[in-house]
Amino acid sequence: MNRLVLGIIPLMLIVPLILWASGENQQYYKVIGQLRLAVPTDAGDQSYLGIRQKSGQFGLVDVDAEIIIVEIFSMYCPHCQRHAPEANKLYQEIMADRSLAKKVKVLGIGVGNSPFEVKFFRKKYSVPFPLFDDANSAVLNSLTGIQTPTYFGLKNDGRTLTPFFMQQGPYDDAKVFLQTVLRKAGAR
Amino acid sequence: MTGERMKKNCRSILIAFGTAALFCMPVTAPAQDLKQSIYQVGTLKPVDSVLKVRVGERAPDFTLRAVSGGTVSLKDYAGKKNVMISFVPAAWTPVCSDQWPGYNIVQEEFERLNTVLIGISVDNVPTLHAWTRAMGSLWFPVLSDFWPHGKVADTYGVLRSDGTSERAIFIIDTQGIIRSIDVHDINARPPLEDIIGELEKLNK
Repeated sequence: MNRLVLGIIPLMLIVPLILWASGENQQYYKVIGQLRLAVPTDAGDQSYLGIRQKSGQFGLVDVDAEIIIVEIFSMYCPHCQRHAPEANKLYQEIMADRSLAKKVKVLGIGVGNSPFEVKFFRKKYSVPFPLFDDANSAVLNSLTGIQTPTYFGLKNDGRTLTPFFMQQGPYDDAKVFLQTVLRKAGAR
Repeated sequence: MTGERMKKNCRSILIAFGTAALFCMPVTAPAQDLKQSIYQVGTLKPVDSVLKVRVGERAPDFTLRAVSGGTVSLKDYAGKKNVMISFVPAAWTPVCSDQWPGYNIVQEEFERLNTVLIGISVDNVPTLHAWTRAMGSLWFPVLSDFWPHGKVADTYGVLRSDGTSERAIFIIDTQGIIRSIDVHDINARPPLEDIIGELEKLNK
């Protein structure tokens, strides 16, 4: 009886929670997987992302990387402001590892932010990776209820995107976070 | 079932719930105090007041209690600085709660444009104290227009019928003249480029 109770009650509590959370993640994964972003005007950003076209829109599947980390942030979010140096460290950790530099790419989307606001944020915190605006709030509205910052991990084979990771809220340590993402992607 | 057996079962249930709670904690843990404390107000009537001042007129003076202590008057800045007044509708509500944190990282732009920013809300000082602390440390004064309730908002014509204020921006030059008014849709945040653009016009 005791063992039965000990075994069943946690399952009764945890399983619906996991199902609810994974259902919510799936909804967000769908949005992220279908994102279309404006081709960056900055040649450095174009080169980093490996986008071949020079104008129009691109999908994340067009990014020249096996693993894509997307940061959802807002210039107006104090957590994102405080976390900006740590987000920069994530990029630096990747670039410092030759085996990862071309394989893993990072980009950010300033949800509900205008191009001016995103540009200001990037300059203020010297963000080295590409940031995209969301002037008409299309991304913000499609990610209803999401916190900022939120991080997504997507696997990319050049034809299909497979979202495999989502974390709402900032991470503590860029190095540990990167290892977590790589492990979940099956890359480490 | 004996009493001893029942006790054992109760203990087992408590341990099981405790274990489950421990497993649940990481899912709900992210410390997003400000975001998690926001009261959702839904979509509101975009504007619910009638302006009582116009561009080109002298801005009505006021003296209000500052959250950081003491009082601040508009006339304190006369002849020295441009002033941007940012009225926000209410503490702990969406949009308002991320409007001032955005301005909080733009201090150097305001300084470059010889402008002081003053935040005003109709909330009382203790509420504003808790709310602005959750935003971090704000570099600009936040004033309480709580009592007589919304008197300054009403003087400018931005007091709504429910006692909150509009989401409004007034830009006043060093001579105390109103140079720009934006009574914004309460459901949306005024874009930063519009504000900086108006302030740049003052410095041309």
